[in-house]
Amino acid sequence: MTQTEQEYIRILRNRLEGVLPREDLEDLLSDYSEHFRIGKASGRTEEDLCRSLGSPEDVAREVKATHLVKKAEKTRSCRNIFHAVIATLGLGLFNLVFVLVPFIFLVVLLAVIFLLGVAFAVFGPAAFIFSLLQILGIPSFAIWQSPLAGAFFSIGITSFGILLIVAAFYLARFFYHLGIRYLTWNIGVIKGAEDIS
Amino acid sequence: MKPEVTGDVYLTRGQRFLAWSKINPARLVMWLVAITIVSFALGFLILALSGGFPPAAGEPFSLFRNSGIHAPGSTVIMSDGAGRGDVTVTLGAGKLDLLGGAPAGAFMEATVFSKAPEWQPDITRNLNGSSLHVAITEKGHTAKEWFAVDSPNHWEIRLDDTIPLDLDVNVGAGDSRLNLGTLNLTTLSVNNGAGDIRIDLGSYHGSRFDAEIVNGVGDVTLLVPRYSNTRIEISRGVGDLTGSGLIRENDSFTTAGYTPALPLNTIRVKQGVGSILVEAV
Repeated sequence: MTQTEQEYIRILRNRLEGVLPREDLEDLLSDYSEHFRIGKASGRTEEDLCRSLGSPEDVAREVKATHLVKKAEKTRSCRNIFHAVIATLGLGLFNLVFVLVPFIFLVVLLAVIFLLGVAFAVFGPAAFIFSLLQILGIPSFAIWQSPLAGAFFSIGITSFGILLIVAAFYLARFFYHLGIRYLTWNIGVIKGAEDIS
Repeated sequence: MKPEVTGDVYLTRGQRFLAWSKINPARLVMWLVAITIVSFALGFLILALSGGFPPAAGEPFSLFRNSGIHAPGSTVIMSDGAGRGDVTVTLGAGKLDLLGGAPAGAFMEATVFSKAPEWQPDITRNLNGSSLHVAITEKGHTAKEWFAVDSPNHWEIRLDDTIPLDLDVNVGAGDSRLNLGTLNLTTLSVNNGAGDIRIDLGSYHGSRFDAEIVNGVGDVTLLVPRYSNTRIEISRGVGDLTGSGLIRENDSFTTAGYTPALPLNTIRVKQGVGSILVEAV
């Protein structure tokens, strides 16, 4: 257990250096130093203050998760949301169930929709060519029961494939927003629980 | 609704693309939905007009053609005591396997693998005295068919091994494999437009025959029995000529025991473009 202010600040600095911007990090460390200063002025020991603040490793994990979630909220990218999810996982083992499982489920769902869309968007034009070859009487694989109907089905399949790709894009945006809100709520719940304990 | 791009708002790549292309996302989605619905509606309407939809009772519905590969059309022509036979095979485009081993009592068994059931070939049979004439002919494209057209064919034809036979094979485009070693030939004529031909007479023990093989574009492989009295005359355009186990004289080959005075099998090969391999086995 950390027992001195110096050690506490050192651990926080080590854990958060490179994660937070330098300015934010210095602000954070100065807040903690101020907390120690006020506490000591009121007669509390450094050991007692360290105990009341909680482990610096846990504090660093929470700060890191909060920062990465905010970053993902500000700048939408797969990389940022992935880092935010990983950082949130570090807050507790139970987040394997409450964060990782839904995250993997959504990623797989979006990937399936997107790949289905790509498959339809590729198959459609190919099937259209086959239907044209059938209509023109050029020997080829007669895949359609009716080549003329097949030509229209091919167009429908192509546009449906593009629709799925577009749907995957908008669903990804929707789930991204939802995910950020959920991660923020999750971190808030964990912080609250720790404050109570 | 035109998407607005401002310097302080972060835009994803997709949004930037849409802004750059001036595509209105909502309108794009509406158009795609409309195209999808209308296309499928028209497709089903055409199917309904052509009688393909709804399906007949007991038949599963599919937009795709049911493959004839799983249920090939098979025809058996009985020999009916014929003393000799005459077979003409005419295949426009596809793959041909011709071999001996027809079922007992049958002169010919033709199995046609085609994805289009209506493209089963015409088969005619004509018994004149003791001479049986059989012709198997692809129907060909008589008109553009909008609701059902051609697909590749694979014909597998088995012939009687004992009846003396005039065999005439005509293939427009496609590969042909003729395993004739067990047949009893009197004449053999093979005309192939484009594609590879492999004629295996390696185990031939029937009566003497004359053969003419004409190939436009493609490789020809001809196997003859090593101990037969056979002469092969080649007339070739562009391509390699390779002989194995035969005595070569210019573009002619003879088997090792070639004796002009004895009954002789004469095979003439005319090749346009492609390699030729003749081999005694």
